[in-house]
Amino acid sequence: MTMAGAYVRSGLFLLSALVLHLALFSDLRVLGVAPEVPLALAVTAGLVGGPERGAIAGFAIGLGIDLYLPTLFGLSALIYTVWGYAVGLLEERIFRSAWWINVLVTAAATAGGLLVYAVLGELLGEVNLYTDRLYTVMGVAAAYNLVLSLPLLGLWHWSWPRLLGEER
Amino acid sequence: MATGTHTGRSRFTLIFLLLTSATLITLDARDFEPLQRTEETLSDLISPLRSGADRVFEPVGDAWAGVTGYDELESENEALRQELQKLEGQQILDSDAAIRLESLLDVLGLPYVQDIPNVVGEVVTANVGNFDRYSVQINRGAEDGIRNGMPVVTRGGLIGRIDGDPGRGHSRVTLLTDPSFEVGVLVVGTEDVALASGGGHGEPLMVTKGLEIDTEVDIGDEVVTSGVDRSRYPPGIPIGTVTDIDFDEARLLQLLTVAPSANTDSLSFVTVLLYDPLEDG
Repeated sequence: MTMAGAYVRSGLFLLSALVLHLALFSDLRVLGVAPEVPLALAVTAGLVGGPERGAIAGFAIGLGIDLYLPTLFGLSALIYTVWGYAVGLLEERIFRSAWWINVLVTAAATAGGLLVYAVLGELLGEVNLYTDRLYTVMGVAAAYNLVLSLPLLGLWHWSWPRLLGEER
Repeated sequence: MATGTHTGRSRFTLIFLLLTSATLITLDARDFEPLQRTEETLSDLISPLRSGADRVFEPVGDAWAGVTGYDELESENEALRQELQKLEGQQILDSDAAIRLESLLDVLGLPYVQDIPNVVGEVVTANVGNFDRYSVQINRGAEDGIRNGMPVVTRGGLIGRIDGDPGRGHSRVTLLTDPSFEVGVLVVGTEDVALASGGGHGEPLMVTKGLEIDTEVDIGDEVVTSGVDRSRYPPGIPIGTVTDIDFDEARLLQLLTVAPSANTDSLSFVTVLLYDPLEDG
């Protein structure tokens, strides 16, 4: 597969995941909390593809979900970019990971990402982000993404099969 | 799993993407119009895909809500039964309140809400994230005459307002439960215009400003939009019922707790009042 082909495939994967999140996953709530599929996509992209692809995937899915959130356009993109990059970097340098570590990292990164989103959003003048409910959201979304991480990791491997073999 | 080295290229990519994100945030905070138009166009492009997926997955979402919300439904049913009994017992009082409201509106020469042009919209997405519990998106937008700030109602009364410039065929509604939501109100039977604000998800509204301490207010009094000069809401839209009264002795004000008359959970269809205070007020 060419580089362009891999990026087209990744783009289609991200678009499908965004539509699925909007139409399905955002309704599957436990304690009023939906899975954070876009954040899980950014994190798993970093785990599979490394920092650069993690950042690009995080930016793209962040922009996609920003279209539907009332918060500032670009806020999710900013945080998911950093998260995709940071997780990719940690994976390269520290984890070099077993699958179960990747699953735990996805859950932990989800909780951390939501905390950063709430704090940064409040600093930028958004309201109702850092509330008493935040820790419930972090816990439930982390548990959800723990479950979702395995299929997402597999789908990222499908999106970048040969590139991973060639470049790594 | 990832084994590559961290290169200068990936650092450059990161910096480029961060700068792009920061630029977008800055432009959005400044209501940069071309960016908003681009957002609308992108959203409209995804819209058909999303509508199709919505139709396919709607039964799954409904089934999930049925399973996870069973306890909630039971307690809601019980609350509705009690409410029905209360309503039956207070029918006379209710009709009295309606007469009082009607007479007040007559006296003030206020127009009825029903006379205002309106558009019915379907709620296409409640909240897609975990932080936007106070907004929903509807499938009507600028091409239907909807503008920023227009009031949104259901049969029960006011539920919110249009938030931001709508897209061509969709718009976002901020619900009145949002703690940053404020609306000028009037307790039926009084003349004091007060300010009510959202109390959060599942919580009542609070009236904390504008109601003099000697104004006669009782538990059960109806609260409606005041519609004072240039208010973004027309007068007489039901807001809720007074459920508690407290006093702020220092500011010589009454503090009211108001149970919203319209249910903002599980909204399906809403009505946007095409009301412009400068033209209609």
